[in-house]
Amino acid sequence: MAQTDNVHAADPGAVLDFLSSAHPFKDLDRGTIEDLAQQFTIDFFPKGTVILRQDLSDVAYLYLISRGGVKVYLTDAEDVVTLKDFRGEGGYFGALGIIRGSKANLNVETVEDTFCYLLGKEVFLELIQNYPKVAHYFLKRFSEDVVGIAYTELRSQRVRPKGQEGLYLFNARVGDVLKRGLEVIAGSETVQDAAAKMSHLHIGSLLVQDQAGNIIGITTDNDLRKKVVAKALDVNTPVERIMTSPVKSISASAVCFEALLQMMNDQVHHLAVESQDKIVGVVTAHDIMVHQGTSPISLFREIGNQPTIEGLYPLSHKVPLMVRTLIEEGAKANNVTRMIAVLNDHIVNRVLMLLEEELGPAPYPYCWLMLGSEGRMEQTFKTDQDNALLYETPPEEWEQIKVAKLYFRRFGNMAIKHLEACGYPPCKGEMMASNPKWRKPYSTWHNYFERWMSAPEPQAVLHATIFFDFRPGYGRAALGERLRDYLVREAPQKSLFLMHLAKDCLTGKSPLTFFRNFIVEKDGEHKNRLDLKTRGLVPIIDFGRVMALKFGIRETNTLTRLQLLADGDHIPRELYTETREAYEFQMQLRLVHQMQMMEAGETPNNYIDPGELSEVEKQTLKEAFGVINRIQGYLKTELSVVD
Amino acid sequence: MKRLWKWLRPDKHPAIERNRRRFAEFDRDRPIENCEFVSLDTELTGFNHRKEEIVSIGAVRIRDLQIVIGDNFFSYVRPTKSIPKDSTLVHRITTSQIKTAPPLQEVLPEFVDFCGDALLVGHYIALDMAFVNKACRNILGARMENPCFDSMRLAYAYQEVQRRSYYDAIETRMSYNLTELSKRYRLPLFAKHDALEDALQAAYLFLFLVKRLQAAGCVTLRDLDTVGSGSPF
Repeated sequence: MAQTDNVHAADPGAVLDFLSSAHPFKDLDRGTIEDLAQQFTIDFFPKGTVILRQDLSDVAYLYLISRGGVKVYLTDAEDVVTLKDFRGEGGYFGALGIIRGSKANLNVETVEDTFCYLLGKEVFLELIQNYPKVAHYFLKRFSEDVVGIAYTELRSQRVRPKGQEGLYLFNARVGDVLKRGLEVIAGSETVQDAAAKMSHLHIGSLLVQDQAGNIIGITTDNDLRKKVVAKALDVNTPVERIMTSPVKSISASAVCFEALLQMMNDQVHHLAVESQDKIVGVVTAHDIMVHQGTSPISLFREIGNQPTIEGLYPLSHKVPLMVRTLIEEGAKANNVTRMIAVLNDHIVNRVLMLLEEELGPAPYPYCWLMLGSEGRMEQTFKTDQDNALLYETPPEEWEQIKVAKLYFRRFGNMAIKHLEACGYPPCKGEMMASNPKWRKPYSTWHNYFERWMSAPEPQAVLHATIFFDFRPGYGRAALGERLRDYLVREAPQKSLFLMHLAKDCLTGKSPLTFFRNFIVEKDGEHKNRLDLKTRGLVPIIDFGRVMALKFGIRETNTLTRLQLLADGDHIPRELYTETREAYEFQMQLRLVHQMQMMEAGETPNNYIDPGELSEVEKQTLKEAFGVINRIQGYLKTELSVVD
Repeated sequence: MKRLWKWLRPDKHPAIERNRRRFAEFDRDRPIENCEFVSLDTELTGFNHRKEEIVSIGAVRIRDLQIVIGDNFFSYVRPTKSIPKDSTLVHRITTSQIKTAPPLQEVLPEFVDFCGDALLVGHYIALDMAFVNKACRNILGARMENPCFDSMRLAYAYQEVQRRSYYDAIETRMSYNLTELSKRYRLPLFAKHDALEDALQAAYLFLFLVKRLQAAGCVTLRDLDTVGSGSPF
């Protein structure tokens, strides 16, 4: 409508306030914001409305969420849905589609009643053209999306961001990531020659040259697939017939970010790199992203190559950085915790190995035992040390016993001290190898377990549960395995012991009230927060443990225990599926929560504020908690627990 | 008597003539989303329309069931008398503030043209229209013909739909005032007692209700009119 002839038009104050506080508009000057505010429309989408459909919807607007929230997800060819993101008030969607002029690249669906401010496509394009800062903001966000979506093959390879990953894209030059020099082929050579050369060099593209040596085009894997194989073209066709020409190029001095941007705009994965008017090579999106992070393998190597224990101290701090990316990339919680376990194990192993070098060889073979969450390979970001030491029973000679005790005392104490310096806080209950009680020969450990299982006093059993999750670590693993053999053989017969464990598992109440509201802490530091670990995860872990012991399962990882129980028909398949899903979801929630805390500079804990969860998360969490009632019910009948 | 009545009325202003022509033939079976709406609100010196006067008018356009923020209308109106103190307390407009405002004679034709062929929306719109049309008759020679929709009545209708489809406990004593409804439906909240912001608030409420009622099978203007004519009592 012609607004200019309406002398009574007013500034829409509310929209102005919103824009003035929203990234990236808040950096614009007042006049521009005022003009912009006039261009918006407001729309309402009831909960459950699909606003954009992947590959189908034309994106006509930039959407800013003013109230409510949306979930953003991908659907692949098999209709498998991958949840990418939740966006709430102040969030955007639609920008990438507008800039690329493509259909929506994701599905966007409202999870609550949602009001959005809509900015027309043309106005938005004009805005980013005139205001580099706004463009910069959106493009920076896309670069993350590009990594996540368009280059999924990188997921397994791209890992640890170097500090601030955003900055890397803006600092590193295209020339810096160029991996090799110019690889060319003459335009008159055949398609087959090109394919052979690409295979030989392990590259995905070749530049095409004319007789005068000028670069006239590029041919890629994609060309071979689409233009040759798919069309059954003769392999003797000259390359110049299928090449893409002219070549899209970028200056070697451009920052990597610009290269990614140009790739997105031109919808290509390769760009020729130009330096002083000469083409010097080809850069791919893959090159840029690989350069951005180092892989877990390289952290693994870095740990393994440390010549001193002190050199290991800072390395454990790199684990969370790497984990963050895994989570962002959508890795399942169980894979993430296993990755954490592998890296932490590696640090512990390296510490112990270097320590043994320092102290000289041990008088008797020993085995480091990981307990509790370490034993189950379920560590999150920061877990206390829970460990113990087991060594071969020395002969019954006072001198031999004394030698062993002295050596392992030093070894245990120093190991714990070094691990503390590595960033693993000591266990409050002193369940560590520095405690003489948990640094014993095999015979003593055997007696410990026998006592716990045969004459169970409820308290003693409950304090000892983390020991039943032990996993052999550094040293002679066979010693630990022997202890496990004993447990697997004996535990299933100890019905009184199992009943005590089951009973304990039943004391934890489901964290839902009768009306399906969350039960939160009533007072104290974590008032109105939900203790996810104690209330949600521990009952499932306990269930896995008692059932694994009952059926003689060696494994300690909760999900593996549950799977083996289901495979052995010890628990119903349906209960297994529900329990696994409930456990995975809560672990995921816990990891993300702890990651956010760490990034805010706080010490990670397990207390979640239900108010901060989206509608979908709340529902899923309630479902997950519902499962706790079912496993408790099952346990009650299965182990005939009497109150 | 009829003649005298005619003699008292001024000649029809071109703005109101245009308005009458627009609604001479009006199709009530159009789908709701094809219609243009204008959400409006007026602030008064008080509530008795025999004595009270309009002190401000605010309106915002809704096209394709989207609120077009930039296409709005707002004006203070210079009343003939000074504003009583108690209403100043409500909307914080003082006599001195509107001394420079245009008189209703100037604002009204522009407002009628702004509304154009849009359908009017407001919260308890009957009250606003009583004042607007009284002024229209006095100043422009006839009333506005735009069909009106009351967001309060639509809210009754929506609660009724809710009541029928859910077994939730029914709240018999819920408040139907604009702010309470907006809070209840979790709409963004605007400043109260500013004609433009209230018009915007009513527009949000209207959008919310219409989309919910559409989902319940309310498709044409006639449907909307029918559900909106019920009452909760």
